[in-house]
Amino acid sequence: MAKKILKTIAEPSFTAIGYVILFLLFAYTLTPLVWLFITAFNPRGGPYLEIPKEITLDNFIRVFTGERGTGGTGTAAHPIYMSRWIANSLFIGFATMLITVLLSAPAGYALSRLEFKGKDFLMTAILLIGFMPMTSKMLPLYRLGKILGLIDNLLGVAIVIASGTIPTQIWIIKGFFDHIPREIEEQAWICGCDYLATLFRVVLPAAGPGLAVVAFLSFLSGWGNFTVPLIMIYSEPLYPISLGLASIFVHNPGEIGLAIDYGSACALSVIYAIPPMVVYYIFREHLMKIRLGKIEIR
Amino acid sequence: MFSEIKNWVRVNVRNLTLTLFMIPALAILIIFQLIPTIWTIWISFTDMALIGKKFLNYSFIGLRNYIEAFSDSYFWLSMRVTLYYCLASLVIRFMLGLAAALYITSKKFKGKRIMAAVFLLPYIIPGAIHSYVWLSMLETDYGTVNRILVALNLPPQSWMYERLTESIIAINCWAGYALAMLVLVSALTSIPKEYYEISDIYGASKWFKFRKITLPLIKYPLILTLILIFKEDIDDFTYAYMFTGDTPYPDYRTEIIALYAYHKAFSDFELGFGCAIGFIIAIIVFIITLIQLKMGGI
Repeated sequence: MAKKILKTIAEPSFTAIGYVILFLLFAYTLTPLVWLFITAFNPRGGPYLEIPKEITLDNFIRVFTGERGTGGTGTAAHPIYMSRWIANSLFIGFATMLITVLLSAPAGYALSRLEFKGKDFLMTAILLIGFMPMTSKMLPLYRLGKILGLIDNLLGVAIVIASGTIPTQIWIIKGFFDHIPREIEEQAWICGCDYLATLFRVVLPAAGPGLAVVAFLSFLSGWGNFTVPLIMIYSEPLYPISLGLASIFVHNPGEIGLAIDYGSACALSVIYAIPPMVVYYIFREHLMKIRLGKIEIR
Repeated sequence: MFSEIKNWVRVNVRNLTLTLFMIPALAILIIFQLIPTIWTIWISFTDMALIGKKFLNYSFIGLRNYIEAFSDSYFWLSMRVTLYYCLASLVIRFMLGLAAALYITSKKFKGKRIMAAVFLLPYIIPGAIHSYVWLSMLETDYGTVNRILVALNLPPQSWMYERLTESIIAINCWAGYALAMLVLVSALTSIPKEYYEISDIYGASKWFKFRKITLPLIKYPLILTLILIFKEDIDDFTYAYMFTGDTPYPDYRTEIIALYAYHKAFSDFELGFGCAIGFIIAIIVFIITLIQLKMGGI
């Protein structure tokens, strides 16, 4: 009897506790993002969460026209090149994507088809080759960039970012090639295809989804990267969005005043956040599977 | 005879082509990953400084940087901060991730897709947005967090100074708990339902099912998650940097080890020393990665 009463009380209260924790988790996760989103549409945005009296698209327009904020709680503390930052980020993203796909797809294919001594070692070495934390690689990378003329050069940034993401992408694309049976290739040879024709007509189409995943992931790592541009880009018009946002907010860490144009900064970061969200939405099934493998992608 | 030669040529041309496929990727990796890494290790054995005569006329001093690091009281202070930061982040990220995973996989709570999308949001938006959104949220006078605390009749906190370490941990956990969630969700959903059905037939208790079925099957993903989280936390100092700036706080409250390496190299200009600490971090990360690879393919 007592047990039954306990059960009728315990079950619903557990559910209630469950909902309370769920609510707290939601609040923790969403409050900053809600602030970001609302402030982007608020003509008088500030660091506090408030329901705007009117909704405006001015902030987004300012991002693209590069005008200084007139409304809001103050004017921007320094010149804004936001539309150029977006263009720079796009360029870095697409260049990273192109370089990564062009280099890692052949390498992944070769590693999938070739059998040689020390292949496992090579695969591990590829993954561990850049194991030094970015902090301490900064100076060598800077001087290397200087020697090769890659400082203040968006293509140089893309190459360095690509070199950081290629190891993971080789592992991913090799996994996709491993799943394409060799018999298909052999059949193509029997039917008179030569080697390269087999590659372009049979293997590449079959590896299409894998290539797409690699392309999008490498685009994202170029699009979102912060440290590499920090080392290699010094002139403000060449900043990607990540550096631009940091330069708006971090000039005086710990004492952000009201002199920040919150509205257009938030509009810029809403624009900044959209491509990754779209990509994750399209590829979520694939990404779950890859994450189950040995490596982690970011 | 002729066909044998033809076959031999064909096989070797194929192998040669495949080897050539690997060259570009490996070249980029060697130039932009391996060389900076080795360069860093070399600097760590010298007394190179960022400014002054020692920038060019540095000399090889063997292990002295390492001996100095291990006898430096600030190094150990920073290690203690790192330990606090990493352990707190590890526990909180794991618990939040586990909670989120349980909500997504449980039958009781509705709206799994929406929940998953919400939980993933902070993880997929670019990292540059995290820091400054939270800089605004935690602002002492105008920040949203303190406003909420006041609205709930709780005393506002000085998030930017007195509770700085906790603030950084909170941001890190906010941005990263979805990683634990992803691994745990795929581990939990990959357990075949038949196992539970069979144990139901035999009348097994919930605790028995958890101990004998769930736990053994998610043991490897669990350990893998912990390793991944630790690896991410130890060499990423973006949030700590955003809240600290270029000089450490006098009591080193935010000085996690990666930030200490950065400050030593670029604020105190002791490049060799900073690189030595970087290499110590790298060795820690390296060992962790090797363990992770050994456990591999879950």
